[in-house]
Amino acid sequence: MVLKDVISGGKGQAFMLCNEAIVRGAIEADVKVVAFYPGAPTSEILDTFSEALGSFDYHMQIATNEKVALEICAGASFAGFRSLTAMKSVGMNVASDTLFVLGYTGVRGGLVVVMADDPHAHSSQSEQDGRFFAPNAYVPMLEPSTAQEAKEMVKEAFAISERHRVPVIVRTVTRVNHQSGVVELGEIRRGKFERARWRDLKEEYLTLGEVARRKKVRMLERRAELEKEFEGSAFNSVLRGEGGAGTGIVTSSVSYLYVLEALKSLGLLGRVPVLKLGTTYPVPRRLVADFIRGLKGVIVVEELSPYLENEVAAIAKDANPAAGIFGKRSGHFSEAWELNPDLVSEGIASVLGLEHRDKKVIVEEARALKEGMPDRYPTFCPGCPHRGTFAALSQALRALSASGKGYYFANDIGCYSMWVFPPISKADSSLCMGASVGIANGLSNVIEERVVAVVGDSTFYHAALPAILNAVHNRNKFTLFILDNSVTAMTGQQPNLSTEYTAGWREGKRVPIEDVCRAAGAEFVEVVDSYSVKENVPVFRRALEYEGLAVVVSRRECALYGDRRKRRRGEKITPFEVDKSVCRRPYACIRDVYCPAHEIDGDGQPRISPELCDGCSVCSRMCAFGSIRRAGAGTGNENGTGNHKRDDKEKEKEKEGAGERR
Amino acid sequence: MSFNIFICGVGGQGLVLLTNVLGRACLKSGFKAITGEMYGLSQRSGSVSVHMRIGDDAYSPLIPVGEGNVLVALEAIEALRYIEYLKKGGLALVNRRVMHPPVETAGLVRDRSRKYFSLEDVVSRLRRYTGRVAVIDALAAAKEAGNPNTENTVFLGCLSALRELPLDPEKVREAIAEAVPERTVDQNLRAFELGRAAAKEALCGFGVCRD
Repeated sequence: MVLKDVISGGKGQAFMLCNEAIVRGAIEADVKVVAFYPGAPTSEILDTFSEALGSFDYHMQIATNEKVALEICAGASFAGFRSLTAMKSVGMNVASDTLFVLGYTGVRGGLVVVMADDPHAHSSQSEQDGRFFAPNAYVPMLEPSTAQEAKEMVKEAFAISERHRVPVIVRTVTRVNHQSGVVELGEIRRGKFERARWRDLKEEYLTLGEVARRKKVRMLERRAELEKEFEGSAFNSVLRGEGGAGTGIVTSSVSYLYVLEALKSLGLLGRVPVLKLGTTYPVPRRLVADFIRGLKGVIVVEELSPYLENEVAAIAKDANPAAGIFGKRSGHFSEAWELNPDLVSEGIASVLGLEHRDKKVIVEEARALKEGMPDRYPTFCPGCPHRGTFAALSQALRALSASGKGYYFANDIGCYSMWVFPPISKADSSLCMGASVGIANGLSNVIEERVVAVVGDSTFYHAALPAILNAVHNRNKFTLFILDNSVTAMTGQQPNLSTEYTAGWREGKRVPIEDVCRAAGAEFVEVVDSYSVKENVPVFRRALEYEGLAVVVSRRECALYGDRRKRRRGEKITPFEVDKSVCRRPYACIRDVYCPAHEIDGDGQPRISPELCDGCSVCSRMCAFGSIRRAGAGTGNENGTGNHKRDDKEKEKEKEGAGERR
Repeated sequence: MSFNIFICGVGGQGLVLLTNVLGRACLKSGFKAITGEMYGLSQRSGSVSVHMRIGDDAYSPLIPVGEGNVLVALEAIEALRYIEYLKKGGLALVNRRVMHPPVETAGLVRDRSRKYFSLEDVVSRLRRYTGRVAVIDALAAAKEAGNPNTENTVFLGCLSALRELPLDPEKVREAIAEAVPERTVDQNLRAFELGRAAAKEALCGFGVCRD
């Protein structure tokens, strides 16, 4: 990210990521309060707001979860402050309890919720279609196609929110969030941040029983008002075709861009009419009816569920019952996986009965060329503390299996999820944030084997805590490993409750996980250093055999976060190397470790890439012969201790460097 | 006509920065540019890719299969992983660096008779797809520039040597100076020049260079 593009006061143009454009739009709209829990593909919105915090006067919190983030924004909105949160749509599952009531209570200051779906499940546990939250909660929804449009929509969403006293969802997909393009910058005019006086603003934000019934009627009126407004919204546009009783296309989001690309490649640009919807809830029915009237057929191009298609079909029933509706139901497009220009070309061509350039030949040729090439699964970074934890855990679990007891392994959402990928491929289940602990509460009472659950620090605070309290209270017996790497690592090392810092590198109070567990009444709570593989094996074994809830906090900071801090302190990373005269090739350094920095040399001996090695020492601890040493050190195995305690001077130094560009 | 660059590599090699510099250079040159970037689960060591499209009629953030003008691979095996995005006969700019994924090394440990998938394996297969494959030693150039992390900038140098790419190298230089961390500007500019020189050596046989 180049911060100055986001914060530059003047107008002009910048090339930026859509997520940065969203931030720019909110800053131009004078947003006053932002709160987030990170989640791909929206994390850069949090990151950019965090970096820009020194430049503008807004209040920012990195929240424990998406529900709290939305509530922070709702609270600010009740007092008239413009507020924004962003989350992936599975985060909306957590926040939706609050979203649904905000539809009833209404808001005051503009409240914008950026919600990103992830068609293709690039970095999510499901292909959830979040669009259905909007009709379900009676909350309006806008869908941008480009970075420029995302910025414009975020600005307008604040105005819509204030006009109609309702939160507004700006719904994106991964291919919109992670799209960069040229963006027109608008003027930044910021008002001063001043506390409001509730006694001057006082009004009710509540809903229950009779109040809810009354407000439901008001929600229906509001929906009608929004639909009327959206009939004339500039976010909806029609690309005229040559006219006549032909076939037209209705589309939205990134699919609109695929449609343009497909029409270009089919030579149909300007010949087939296209209705691009930017306001997808409520759908402006008159606009759609006017578009499809007189058409012979309508192709609906959208990703995931037939959301627009169902709307169009319902509208066509009155407006043009003879029109053929083509989309998911007709089998021209799939509900599975994301679209791309080729799939859209193929779909449109097959509806229109046209030839299109078949890419199967190229794809087949490529497939043949790739035969036997290695896969590259997501894996732990060099230096990742999870590698050390799992090396010890693997040994302890093997011992448990050897004893005939056996185990069930519940994985969870975070970097440690990558243990499900080859070459390790270990997990009996992995569902959603914090579910491993809930599952363990159930399974530990019904199976003979020991149940082992894993969560990370951020997941612990986000959603695992209620399940842990449940385990204590109900005396459930299982082993919980909490992998504390100080930050929310997977989404880009954002600070969380385990970090001394919060948004904008400001001081945050750490909430130590072990203290929380002990205060809750857990009787077996051990804290270990993730890198101390050998020392941890007996601790882990005890935890696996403990008659009750055993909690092990394995602690070491995320390597990427640690590297950044080392750079700020001016520390060098010294890689390890293999002393080939000592190595006897049992490959203990590779088995249970699988570090990207390790390769096998032509002579069959391990080699450590100096460019990739993070100097974490875990592999050196696995070698029984002491053949892996820090470059230039010349001594045997290393047994460093945790690096969590740092003096104040060091902290100061880091803060000074915090403003530097990444 | 749009000019499409498919960029791939391994998480941590700086693809996002490379993309940002190209995009800024496009903006400075008055070209429309749009990208589709894929780096969800790949903090380090996973496969990452960027679709970069330049031109007024580049609508989609994704390059249609078989329509990439250039494939840039910061890691050699990744070039093969995404080869279908390159036009038949298109230009493949491939780093000679091979980073063997842990799953491949695990296979070698299990079965000692196995061999790594090598640079030669990659290049011979790429050559069956396109006659224009250039192998660049970007790591050596980056080290020579004083910073082994500047492989991405070496490839910016390579790209800027192409006649087809409608970007003024001076604009790319300006964009580098704006986008990279301040303390690494000089190293990056050196890496850029070394990349240009390497490209001229590797590519001029194909008649694609500016000068």
